[in-house]
Amino acid sequence: MVHRDRIALCAALAVFTGGALAACRGADPGPQALRTVTIYVSTDRVFSEPVLRAYEQQSGVTVNAVYDTEETKSTGLANRLLAEQARPQADVFWSNEPVRTLVLKSRKALASYRSPNAKGIPAALVDADGYWTGFSARIRVIAYNTTLVTLADAPKSVFDLADPRWRGQVAIADPRFGSTSFHVAALYAAAGDERMDAFFRQLKANDVKIVDGNSVVRDLVARGEVKIGLTDTDDVNVAIEDRQPIAMVLPDAAGLGVPVMPNMVSLIANAPHMEEGQRLIDYLLSGDVEQQLAHSEAVQIPLHTGVPGPRNIPAIDTFRPMTLDFTKAAQRVEDVTGRLASILGL
Amino acid sequence: MWGWRSSRTVVVGLATTLFVVICVFPIASFLMTSLQGVTAAFALDARQWGLLVNTAVLGIGTAVLATAIGAPLGLLLARAPLPQKTLLRVALAAPLLLPPYVVALAWTYLGSNRGLLATAVGYDVLAAWTYSLPAAVLVLGLVLYPLSMLATEVALRRIDGRLEEAALMVAAPRGVFWRLTVPLVAPGIMAAALVIFVLAVSEFGVPGVLRVRVYTTEVFTAFAALYDPGRAALLALPLLALCVAIAAVAVALLGDRFVSVRRGADTPAALRFERSHALLAAITVLVTALALPIAVLAREALTSRSIAAVIVGSGEAIANSVRLATLGASAVVGIAMWLGYARARTTRRVGRLVDIGLVVLFAVPGTLVGVGLIAVWNRPGPLGALYGTDSMLVLAYLARLLPAAVLALAASGRTVPVSHEEVAAVSGAGWLRTMWRIVIPQMRLGLVAAWLIAFVLAFGELGVSVLVAPPGETTLPIRIYTIIANAPSSSVAVLALLQAGVILGPLAVLGAILAHREVS
Repeated sequence: MVHRDRIALCAALAVFTGGALAACRGADPGPQALRTVTIYVSTDRVFSEPVLRAYEQQSGVTVNAVYDTEETKSTGLANRLLAEQARPQADVFWSNEPVRTLVLKSRKALASYRSPNAKGIPAALVDADGYWTGFSARIRVIAYNTTLVTLADAPKSVFDLADPRWRGQVAIADPRFGSTSFHVAALYAAAGDERMDAFFRQLKANDVKIVDGNSVVRDLVARGEVKIGLTDTDDVNVAIEDRQPIAMVLPDAAGLGVPVMPNMVSLIANAPHMEEGQRLIDYLLSGDVEQQLAHSEAVQIPLHTGVPGPRNIPAIDTFRPMTLDFTKAAQRVEDVTGRLASILGL
Repeated sequence: MWGWRSSRTVVVGLATTLFVVICVFPIASFLMTSLQGVTAAFALDARQWGLLVNTAVLGIGTAVLATAIGAPLGLLLARAPLPQKTLLRVALAAPLLLPPYVVALAWTYLGSNRGLLATAVGYDVLAAWTYSLPAAVLVLGLVLYPLSMLATEVALRRIDGRLEEAALMVAAPRGVFWRLTVPLVAPGIMAAALVIFVLAVSEFGVPGVLRVRVYTTEVFTAFAALYDPGRAALLALPLLALCVAIAAVAVALLGDRFVSVRRGADTPAALRFERSHALLAAITVLVTALALPIAVLAREALTSRSIAAVIVGSGEAIANSVRLATLGASAVVGIAMWLGYARARTTRRVGRLVDIGLVVLFAVPGTLVGVGLIAVWNRPGPLGALYGTDSMLVLAYLARLLPAAVLALAASGRTVPVSHEEVAAVSGAGWLRTMWRIVIPQMRLGLVAAWLIAFVLAFGELGVSVLVAPPGETTLPIRIYTIIANAPSSSVAVLALLQAGVILGPLAVLGAILAHREVS
């Protein structure tokens, strides 16, 4: 009797745990999903999901996407891709800023692929070895509250943010994460350590508000908690579309150049669906997708010549972009992160 | 009864094996792999020590505040003649359903220099307090107090009223309360406080919103900014040491107490509370912790220009979350029940070590657990068959929540006297039958509370889920999280209310049904 009970209970425990796992849905391909492709996307979901859905409809291929964000709360898809490196699950990585892609390239997690649709994209935005291709760019901008600051008074350079007249009125995202980390690394690479260290010390003395994401910067500026902030074009545009009192300035047009950040798309090394991955990359690099992203709330700037850009944002050939070597900027991230943690007391 | 071939050994051994494979192995595997190449000496600099102190203050402050609110409420729910008690319990537990990050946002909408309060009174009332460590403690305390409340109520309901009646013959009610009742419920309250402490020190969303620098962000930075798992593993060690220290102090303070079970006798009238005072306390907490944040969020949400557009498309994610959290919570309690029982029956010394080990496992940052799970399960063969399916999400919930559930159910298991099992054994009952007929029924309140808490925590789990969720599928927290990055604050408020409402709705209906039954 006792023996029977014991067997029954062990069986129950095993069946229970197994059942809990079995009740989950498996990766059943199903008849309609014979052609699938898996993409990891760090471009904000609200912008990237419609693009991928359009591809599904157009190609008949099922797109399995994993989304993430660049906010500080995210551990990032790059970590997942690195952890899965021995047995990759993804075919394509679509990043909304350069650092992650360059980290993956340096860790040999990417495969080389030169898409025919990369033709027409400026050479500086295409990897010479074919590990990544840039498309649809964003700009780092200075956002200001239009009820508190006029366009004439708004800062025109990132370095103006350390001006004592803005004391306690500037917000930036934590510079260790996301597009801000790339921006400050690029500034260190372009302007030199001494100048940038001094700038960030002044910024700290100026009581800068360091918050946990570019969207938070935008919200603080829009609500008037601070007058100005450093953020991205897409963040500001969402608030403008929401009719909030906010506008933006393209910084350093007359100095170091306007900081431009392209999306980057890459093929994953040993991807399970290599050919489908290449087709999806071709699609993402098409003029159609750039137009779609330009006319969405993302207001991303097309890199192909001849593709109409977003309204309210100047075309890329109408201002002077910051000249920089993405690889060199990305290599500065670790060092700059350490410096800023110390200078800003993060 | 602990012989190699005994039922108890086999069942507890099987549960322990599952625990080791699901919880311990991924973390151990991650630490071994990550620390392999690390040879440099490791020492915290002054800045990092400062961050660690902030984290300790945040954890201890939150645990103290949540216990200070939750334990008295648990006492009132167990001992005061409150009206509509079931419904009130659900309402008082509801703040746990609000994502802490969003409650912090609501706090800033209320208290910032352009917030509702400043607008209403004409000047910045809270000034330096809005973005501060005390504000982070307040927000987390208001979100996490239900854990303490539920643990206290469960522990109080387990007390044999006859013990207190006997004590009242020789001591005044106040003396009985402090010298008998409180010590008897202390293990449950302390277990909840430890869980709250760990949840608070693991949190970086709330400190992020309120601009409080904490050590947890250091670990996170090594991952998210530097992609350096070795450094992340090293940096996690002081955080884990802090948790060991706090757990050791708690265990030493508590010791192992015998707690008798309640059998029939009600709480003596002298130890009950007056209805009006209890109701006032409950309403005060409800307004502060639930009504106020929801009102602030609702006000923000109403400014959204497209509420429907924000909600549309979340149906599948909601269904996934409910299904997976239900499976996850059931699996967590199904395994933790045996391990909690085993912990309750171990010797004092072993038990203390086990408790500390459980706290440490629960304190391991979610990202580390997620990467460890990938390393263990993403491989060719039978293990790899699960990877890429949503079974990984159930495994993630198990890996995250099992240690806390074992800790909680051990406190519940200690309320069942060993003598009951001995009597059953003398009467010829086997261990399984004793468990089924005697032990588990006496633990049922603890089991129900553990399931509910596991469900709520699994439903809101994000840190591990975001790393192991299969491509093409999503849970509600992941969907919300990936949408809010660029959405206006009004849409964030809509999504936060949606997340809370998805669980709160069914719980309120359940509460109403139970309340109706109570009345009839």
